[in-house]
Amino acid sequence: MRFQNRFLFFALAVALLALPLGVKSDVVLTILVFSWLQGMLAVSFNLIFGFTGQLTMFHAAAFGIAGYATHLSMQHLGVGYWTGTVLAALFVSVLSIIVGTICFRFRLKEFYFAIVTLAFSEMARLTVLNWNSVTNGTLGINLQEKPWLFGFKVNDTVSWYYLSLVALAVTLLVCSRLVHSWMGRCFSAIRLNDELGDTLGINVFRYKLAAFVAGNFIAAVTGSLYAYYLGSLEPGFLSIDQSLGIVAMVLLGGRSSVFAPVVGAVLLTALPHLIHFSAEVRSIVYGSILILTILVMPQGIYGSIAALLRKRHAS
Amino acid sequence: MLLEVRKLTKRFGGLTAVADVSFGISKGEIVGIFGPNGSGKTTLLNLVAGLMPPTEGGVLWKSVPIQGLPAHEVAASGLVKTFQNPQLFAELTVLEHLHIAAHLELKRRLGWRRLATLVRPDLAQAGHERAAQIVRICRLEASRDRLAAEISYGEEKMLGVAMALMCEPELLLLDEPASGLGAGEIENLEAVLRDLKAQGTTLCIIDHKVGFLGRLADRAIGLHHGAKIAEGAPDEVLRNPDVVMAYLGHSRDRI
Repeated sequence: MRFQNRFLFFALAVALLALPLGVKSDVVLTILVFSWLQGMLAVSFNLIFGFTGQLTMFHAAAFGIAGYATHLSMQHLGVGYWTGTVLAALFVSVLSIIVGTICFRFRLKEFYFAIVTLAFSEMARLTVLNWNSVTNGTLGINLQEKPWLFGFKVNDTVSWYYLSLVALAVTLLVCSRLVHSWMGRCFSAIRLNDELGDTLGINVFRYKLAAFVAGNFIAAVTGSLYAYYLGSLEPGFLSIDQSLGIVAMVLLGGRSSVFAPVVGAVLLTALPHLIHFSAEVRSIVYGSILILTILVMPQGIYGSIAALLRKRHAS
Repeated sequence: MLLEVRKLTKRFGGLTAVADVSFGISKGEIVGIFGPNGSGKTTLLNLVAGLMPPTEGGVLWKSVPIQGLPAHEVAASGLVKTFQNPQLFAELTVLEHLHIAAHLELKRRLGWRRLATLVRPDLAQAGHERAAQIVRICRLEASRDRLAAEISYGEEKMLGVAMALMCEPELLLLDEPASGLGAGEIENLEAVLRDLKAQGTTLCIIDHKVGFLGRLADRAIGLHHGAKIAEGAPDEVLRNPDVVMAYLGHSRDRI
């Protein structure tokens, strides 16, 4: 089984690395770049939601703020793209520590935690929307610069494909290490019950904050990549729709494993390009798919398939 | 004295759940606290474990006051509590539960070097030996690889005890470990608790099963309406007229 898993993993990695050699369509590669970036966002959200049990609505804010922060630090501090990204991720981490400390010190849980983080997220969105002199308000910002990596300018779709794929792989690796470490076990205890964490000697506040900051840090890096791939920034990055989209990806893919949200992210990113609907019909179709998945496969697509394979393997 | 409870009182609005309770526990003892439902047993245990602050009074743990300390620090100091209803993950195995509970053991052994296990997970393996040992002590070998959803209620309760044991407690506070168990399961539980005592763990058990506590405890404390009504050898306490009144509503002679 273990060998099979490893083999499958390598086969998938080779296939994904070789894909641009066979697939010349820019549209397909573009969809995949967006899928990998959305996948990073969903995986990092699941660290806070699926593994630690905290339904955060701050994820879109972390994602959007980082885009703006990267741009502003490049413009005003004269740093390069990568330094700008690191600064933006650090800035988002500081914000997350403030928001997380307020929420977790007051022991906000479930609905209350979701509402308070949503309020902070809206505060951030309204600031971005109305601070015209810095963010250019509703018009947003055009981003002309492209990142440089090892002397190459990441400009065409194929280089973005590799950059986003590597970023997703690193995200999966980091999250997997976290989840399978002692930290991940603390997250699990907290997910079940704060009191259980307390009686097992776990500093519940500290580990909730650790998961929140780690998740938002990755969301920030994703936001910076996303904005510079897209070439523009607008307040919609921080919208509630964006937050709900991330929740949908995780519920669709599954939340019980590190990898599962990527499945949801790929499906929800690719679907609008595969099936053409008008905007109104699209919302209805998506909503229906989501409701159906939750009713029929509460473990998500990946979770259900994995459970099915386990059952078959056992029998 | 390992633990000293001094004039502990807890009021919820107009209701006094625990009223002026004082007692001590020495190293190596098994102390049984019993009383009918609603007598304040679980509240008393939660106060001792730091899960809620007392209204008045205090708790000395190894001569140091611990009231007001966060519950996780109380647990880290060696005073660990189990839950009346075990808190388990349906989708995890018995052994995986013990790995989740290995936090304090790992923290004591590695300190900040725990961060290195993020890069080298093999450094954390030693905790697994302790888990295997506790599975043996708690007689859970047969179901160690089964999911929590598939084990019996008795095994679930034992798993709760096993998780608390992973924290290496000096004093284990057991919240109604025998409630809902059959006769065979209670016998098994008694054997496990006796083994623990033999290995030097001090136990404080609350339960309303008088027979179970009578057989196991070195000393018994009777609670009624949040107040201590008797303390001494289990036989004497169970014959105490106040205790009989609290349990039966009238004296034994009238039955």
